[in-house]
Amino acid sequence: MAAANSREDWQALAREAARGVDEAPGEEMRQLLVFQVADASYALPVECVREIVRQRATTPIPRAPEDVCGVISLRGEILQVIDLRRRIGLAPCAPTRRARIVVVQAEESGVAGLLVDGVREVLRTGQSSLQLQGGGDGMVAGLVRRGDAFVSLIDLERVLDLHVDA
Amino acid sequence: MATRRPRAKRRSKADREFVSEAEEILDAMRAGVADLGDSLDESRGPDPELVNRLFRAAHSLKALAGMFRFDPIRDLGHRLEDILDGLRLDRVRLDASLCALLEESIATFASLLERVGDVQALGESEPAIADLSRRIAAAAAPPAVEADPLARLSVDASLLRALTEYEEHRLRESVRRGRHIALVDSTFEILSFEEGLSELTGAIREHGELISTLPAPGAAPESQINFSLLVASDLPANDLLAALDFPKASVRSVLAGEPAPRAQLAPAAEPDASAQEPADESQALEPPPGETPGELESLRSISDTVRVDIRKLDELMNLVGELVIARGVLGELTLRLQENAATARVGGELAKLHKALERKLRDLQSAVLDVRMVPLRQVFEKVARVIRRLRRELGRDVRLDLRGADTELDKLIVEALVDPLMHVVRNALDHAIESPEERRAAGKDPEGTLSIEALQRGNHVVIAVRDDGRGIDTRALRTHAEARGLVQAGQVLSERETLELIFEPGLSTRDEVTETSGRGVGMDVVRSNLAALGGVVDVESVPGRGTTITMTVPITLAIIQSLIVGVGERRFAIPLSSVLETLLLPRTAIQRSEGRELIDLRGEPLLLRHLAREFDLAAEPAGESLYVIVLGIGEQRVGLAVDRLFGQQDTVIKPIQGPLGALHGIAGGTDLGDQQPVLVLDASAIVDDATRRREAA
Repeated sequence: MAAANSREDWQALAREAARGVDEAPGEEMRQLLVFQVADASYALPVECVREIVRQRATTPIPRAPEDVCGVISLRGEILQVIDLRRRIGLAPCAPTRRARIVVVQAEESGVAGLLVDGVREVLRTGQSSLQLQGGGDGMVAGLVRRGDAFVSLIDLERVLDLHVDA
Repeated sequence: MATRRPRAKRRSKADREFVSEAEEILDAMRAGVADLGDSLDESRGPDPELVNRLFRAAHSLKALAGMFRFDPIRDLGHRLEDILDGLRLDRVRLDASLCALLEESIATFASLLERVGDVQALGESEPAIADLSRRIAAAAAPPAVEADPLARLSVDASLLRALTEYEEHRLRESVRRGRHIALVDSTFEILSFEEGLSELTGAIREHGELISTLPAPGAAPESQINFSLLVASDLPANDLLAALDFPKASVRSVLAGEPAPRAQLAPAAEPDASAQEPADESQALEPPPGETPGELESLRSISDTVRVDIRKLDELMNLVGELVIARGVLGELTLRLQENAATARVGGELAKLHKALERKLRDLQSAVLDVRMVPLRQVFEKVARVIRRLRRELGRDVRLDLRGADTELDKLIVEALVDPLMHVVRNALDHAIESPEERRAAGKDPEGTLSIEALQRGNHVVIAVRDDGRGIDTRALRTHAEARGLVQAGQVLSERETLELIFEPGLSTRDEVTETSGRGVGMDVVRSNLAALGGVVDVESVPGRGTTITMTVPITLAIIQSLIVGVGERRFAIPLSSVLETLLLPRTAIQRSEGRELIDLRGEPLLLRHLAREFDLAAEPAGESLYVIVLGIGEQRVGLAVDRLFGQQDTVIKPIQGPLGALHGIAGGTDLGDQQPVLVLDASAIVDDATRRREAA
């Protein structure tokens, strides 16, 4: 249930994405939402994304881990928001006008917001350009080739695997 | 507070309506069959009115299932109707195996209802239903034949022919029991005979059983109508006439009864089947007086009641919540307009309108809240049923004393209360109340008493479950807790703190695992279930005298008044229902004892906590004075120091969604209309922490 403006954003992004990707014929295509965190591109399968909203006033949660910047109110729903910069081990920065909260719906952890520095595009890609990354304790599940650069595919369940220290 | 109802999820609206209505009927039947079982235990005949009620319930269920085309349910309903009809007409004898069969049928119904919406599962249950139907048919054995007692009546044969089969059966039964049979004749004005007749039948029911009301042909003027009422009573005809005190009636004896009747049968004069419960409760469970029980009864209850899915009420509640928030913003804008000289006039007019809106909105709010409120009665009935069953299984003589069944609570809370309450009641029956021999040896009444009392206290409802059993053995409890490492060997605990150990996971006062309370659900679950509702549970126990478990829950979960407080730059909401008072104290009022802070609240020491320290927040530099909010949860009191008070606001508490899950000390979040959410404090957790820390200190 995306708000009207973000739905338009989506369509624009989708059109733009459709232009720039070379498709291998017959291959099953996946759609990824690509966003910016610091100076790198990250992505999530669009199925996990419920909506994208502008950054808004956040209320910090006492005793919560630093990666959680607090809660927002989204049409009456109270959602926890995770600062993706901190979550992948970078220093936080002052909010910019391009910053967005990507509201994700994960299978196990439910709904949450991810604070990113900006949303870039929806990328259509085939399985062949996806390289899974085994092991490691990072937040990245694999890499996707995008022209001559790589986009890091976020491991959502791991990003959302957060606990309050007792 | 999200409540999940997974069972109803995949069903269509019609299915849901059917299930909810059918469940209601089943509940009534369950209670009826339990009463039937009781009448068996107490070796009196079944209450005819009760059998009638059951018959009507089975009939409605059958009709309902037919209407919704649930054939397996309809068929089973049909069988059940048959056997109840047989019971009603005395073609079938009531015995323990029949009661068991009825109970089984109801259980089967309940399991069928769970499968509504799942065609395959319904189909799979058909063999089981066929088997049950066969056994029901087999149970309908013909009764012993005896000489027709109706031959003894000095009454016109045409009158007897006018009786229905059921009425004839009741007449026969009354004669067999040696009651006086009389015909009460009266004449009424045609235009107003209904009132007169119902007055007369009401009077008759007080003194006997009305078997049939027959219009009597005769020499009445055209504007009048005669009625003959066939009555069975323990009073001889003359006494009956005097007792009726109805000027226009005459009574003639049809059959003189035998002196000293073996058993009383008149529904109104007979002690109620649940006579062990206090009279005010058990009577209210019957149809209201003055209303003729009959086939019309069920139609009537359907026509003036609207069944509403509680989710619709939730939606309505959310909408009202949003209106309330919008109203708050409007209020602030109005204030701003009023403060500005250029717009003060418009602002003033707007303020008037705003006041009116506020009033109406408050009415709307309380009206919506009111719709959600249901009396505790239904929960009490369930508990009474379980107790009756357990009484039989455990062989304990337990008197049940229910009070305050009219106390109203939010439907969701009532639902959520069933399990904890049931658990506490089971514990009392299973562990607390001793066997009759044990009780006699201890010099107690061999019959134990379990009382459940509900009363409203402000925005909370307090439910106390009291037994007069053996009490909790605190020494055994302590040994147990030490064995489990919950308490250190040398640790000093007060009596109260030791009692509180029963709320620790994995502790029970007895080792045996029994069907009734050994289901792996302990008092810790009761505590956490209640905490999820924003409630608390307390325990008091006197060895040898009994135990009282007190559960305190808020009346509603929806819109609540909150006190908005500030610490540093942060705001928090505290549900007003947990706030007893607020104080402004000079900082010098803080006293210290063993590293804890106390204040003197009218002579009583009050533990003081600081919200800033609880949550590791940056507080404002200490000033001359501080605000203290006195939190009260159950019996516990704790003072909470904050920097500022912002006043009261209506809040809709929403669960906080996200990976962190439940946050300790925070009950949820709320949007006060300025987009910045405010966290709602979990007052019971804060009070709990403070009092626990006292133990640890």
